[in-house]
Amino acid sequence: MTARATDSGATRSRRPRWLAGGSFVIVAVAAAVLALLLFLAIFADLVSPYDPLTQNLMDSLQGSSAAHWLGTDDLGRDVLSRLIYGCRIAVIAAAEATTIALLIGVPIGLFIGYRGGWWDWIVMRVVEAIVSIPGIMVAIVILALLGTGLHKAMIALGILFSTSFLRLARGVVLAEREEVYVRSARVIGASDSRILLRHILPNIAPPLIVQTTLTVGAVLLAEAGLSFIGLGVQPPDASWGTMLSTAAAYMDLHPFLAIPPGIAIILTVLSVNLIGDVIRDGIGRGITVAARHDTPVARFEAASAVEPSAAALPPLRPDEVLRVEGLQVTVASQDGTGVPLITDLSLSIAKGETLGLVGESGSGKTLTGLAILGLTSVALRTTHGSIMLNGRDLRSLSQREIQHVRGNEVAMVFQDPTTSLNPAFTVGSQIAEVLRAKKGLSKKEAWERTVALIDRVGIPRPEERARAFPHELSGGMAQRIAIARALSCNPSLLIADEPTTALDVTVQQEILDLFRDLQAEFGMAILFVTHDLAVAADICDRISVMYAGEMVEMAEVGRLFARPRHPYTRGLLTAMPHASDRNPPLPTIRGNVPRPGTWPAGCRFSNRCDFRIAACERRIPLTGTNRLVRCIRAEELSLEAAQ
Amino acid sequence: MLRLVFRRLLALAPLLFIVSVLTFSFTSLLPSDPVDLIIGDTGTQEQHEMVRERLGLNQPIVVRYVQWLGRAVRGDLGNSFFNSVSVTGAVMQRLPVTLSLTAVSALIAIIVGIAAGVAAALRPRSWIDRLATVGATIGQAIPNFWFGLLLVAIFAVNLRWFPATGFTPISVSPWDWLRSVTLPAVALGLSSSAAIARQVRSAMVGVLQQDYIRAARAQGLSARRVILKHALTNAMVPVVAVLSFQITVLLGGALIVEQVFAINGLGTLAITAVRQQDIPMIQGLVLVMVGLVVIVQLATDVIYGFLNPKARPS
Repeated sequence: MTARATDSGATRSRRPRWLAGGSFVIVAVAAAVLALLLFLAIFADLVSPYDPLTQNLMDSLQGSSAAHWLGTDDLGRDVLSRLIYGCRIAVIAAAEATTIALLIGVPIGLFIGYRGGWWDWIVMRVVEAIVSIPGIMVAIVILALLGTGLHKAMIALGILFSTSFLRLARGVVLAEREEVYVRSARVIGASDSRILLRHILPNIAPPLIVQTTLTVGAVLLAEAGLSFIGLGVQPPDASWGTMLSTAAAYMDLHPFLAIPPGIAIILTVLSVNLIGDVIRDGIGRGITVAARHDTPVARFEAASAVEPSAAALPPLRPDEVLRVEGLQVTVASQDGTGVPLITDLSLSIAKGETLGLVGESGSGKTLTGLAILGLTSVALRTTHGSIMLNGRDLRSLSQREIQHVRGNEVAMVFQDPTTSLNPAFTVGSQIAEVLRAKKGLSKKEAWERTVALIDRVGIPRPEERARAFPHELSGGMAQRIAIARALSCNPSLLIADEPTTALDVTVQQEILDLFRDLQAEFGMAILFVTHDLAVAADICDRISVMYAGEMVEMAEVGRLFARPRHPYTRGLLTAMPHASDRNPPLPTIRGNVPRPGTWPAGCRFSNRCDFRIAACERRIPLTGTNRLVRCIRAEELSLEAAQ
Repeated sequence: MLRLVFRRLLALAPLLFIVSVLTFSFTSLLPSDPVDLIIGDTGTQEQHEMVRERLGLNQPIVVRYVQWLGRAVRGDLGNSFFNSVSVTGAVMQRLPVTLSLTAVSALIAIIVGIAAGVAAALRPRSWIDRLATVGATIGQAIPNFWFGLLLVAIFAVNLRWFPATGFTPISVSPWDWLRSVTLPAVALGLSSSAAIARQVRSAMVGVLQQDYIRAARAQGLSARRVILKHALTNAMVPVVAVLSFQITVLLGGALIVEQVFAINGLGTLAITAVRQQDIPMIQGLVLVMVGLVVIVQLATDVIYGFLNPKARPS
């Protein structure tokens, strides 16, 4: 085997790879089949044991024997010899029809693409007409004109398949012409046609090769079909199609006759198609021919659990709705070990309270929301911790039980309302569906409740809007609908994932006001995920700051803004734009959030921190009681929010 | 919805016209004189002139086309050159046969294709995905008529579950109709099932990653409902867009598969017409085929608009 195969063996994959993508075994077999086909086609006279046309009526319809490996047909002709001569017909047919298709399609396509105007219009209408008729019927019409026979059938197929080459060539010219117009506006000199030619050739070659392989496969099938119905190769000449035509008459007596030519056709077409797939993939990717395998790994190394900061667990409160303790979420990596995305995350939210989860992108805040719902993608697992919702640990629930919890006890509003509503259904039906599925309401009750909800979230003419599709609503309106859907079953916890980020600034404030109103009315707890500190300051009671998968600070809004204790929080506050001073450039925190798997072993912010000392290399616990902070220098550093 | 139908109809009408012009002019290019074909070389000059007159062949092609089109619009596609039967009658007699076969095979292809595509998409790279992918690749390489022969050998000759040949109209006996149409429809539908399965799989994999799927699950809707209603409705949009093409392919394939099962449908009519160079018959067949394709396109356009609200005229 090749070096690559050894490599893939080294990556501890237990799955046989030969099925995946364009593996070498398959390609090698396909290439070998085609090589054999070519060999047999060229040397048919030397290789075949008998003359394909010699009849021997005494030996008709024989099974496999030493003299006739594949038996004989109705006229006692040797099936193997006919099969081998059939290879020759197949190669001739494929070459002939494909060449004709190329020679007709490409020049005409180039011409009309270049000329445009009437020529283009007329030819394209004709092409559309041809394409709309079943291919075999087109071939039949042409054969009515030409008469039957292999070469005539191949001319018919060549004309038929030329349409795809024509459209391909035209497309390439049109695309290039746009380019050339742009270029020649700047560079005066060489004529359009010369420039065009120079750009077309390199651009047209790859798709042309792909199209050719597709055509060869289709021609082989079509030739067999035409010969089978007697319009292609004429008896007694041996082609796979005519052999099958003979076999069809003897299905009750000697069904084996159908097997050899059938297998020959399938193997050939399959090989051509597979090679075509590999070429297409190769061209698509640039150079590599072999497909890459990114096999998902189901195994998670459980060893990398991060010690929970026992001291920092939130104090128990009687009106607590959600209580998360020591949550850890891990992603499967290429080598099979787990890379943690969130570690040691603990938080609690009380009835009617809004907790902000703030941080840069990649800090794990959205993931926290999804992990609470148990909706992380397949490659992700919640490996440690507990998620207590109304006193029940969601992690211990069955699929069925958690499905009941979702919607009824906890619901989520997503960032982009235009993508979180299903484009195929009216917005009203999407709310009513939830009410019917979760609350068992009748169709009528659900609809009435839906209209009332849409009215409640402040959408005028709710009855009419309920019948609108998502794309017919503005972003703000769509987000109101998403909020109405989330609140339809009166959940005790609402997870809002950047619900205002995708909206226009003027709409943001309205949506925030809506959240506040609805919270006052329904009393649900809100986990408000945002990267925008101003938004968090506006709506949250408390704020948790996340950095690189862990919580670095948690405090009531007023105290956090007045006296941030973690250097990262201070950095965030400093980078916050203020309406009052627009002119000075915004300070930024240098560097980027490190990617999961590249986190520093100690304080994860240490490589960007101005106050870093040697002790920061150790793992830092979250400390404090009502105000939490994960910084060993929090006491000595007196950080003020820069105003 | 009516507006959509009307609009699409307006867009598709020119196609019918262009095809009729093409077929008519193309078949008139015939190198051999149809009169020779009909009465042979032995006829006298007068006989030739008489036949020519009767067939209207002495008039210029444009006049002949307009006359032909005028009659075609009223449902008269002329008479066969050979046995003087009406083309419309001959086509209409066999149309239900080919239509049954195409419709049942389309149904099979859609059901099998969607089931396999969805199953594969739900667990990418699982054994079921691999099985579906390999199956689809091989399915597209198998000639439908060969698969038909195989089915005959197994289910008709050996097991005797289905008749090996022939066709029973549904009006005669629905049960026998079903028995006679099953094997050919399965044979015909195989490669389209494979093509549809491939498309459904790739569309479904994309849709399952969409926000609205996650949002529907976050709302506590059952996995079954999320997959079959929310995901599949959207995944079908690109599939339906190419469905009319698949049905056109099936219609063409039916012409060949009919031969395997000795079913006297449009295929037999077309093959005979080609061998005899029976021009009115071929012209009529092409026109009827394009008519069918237009109807199929119209139907898929409407379904497309239903699945994809953005495509509806507002």
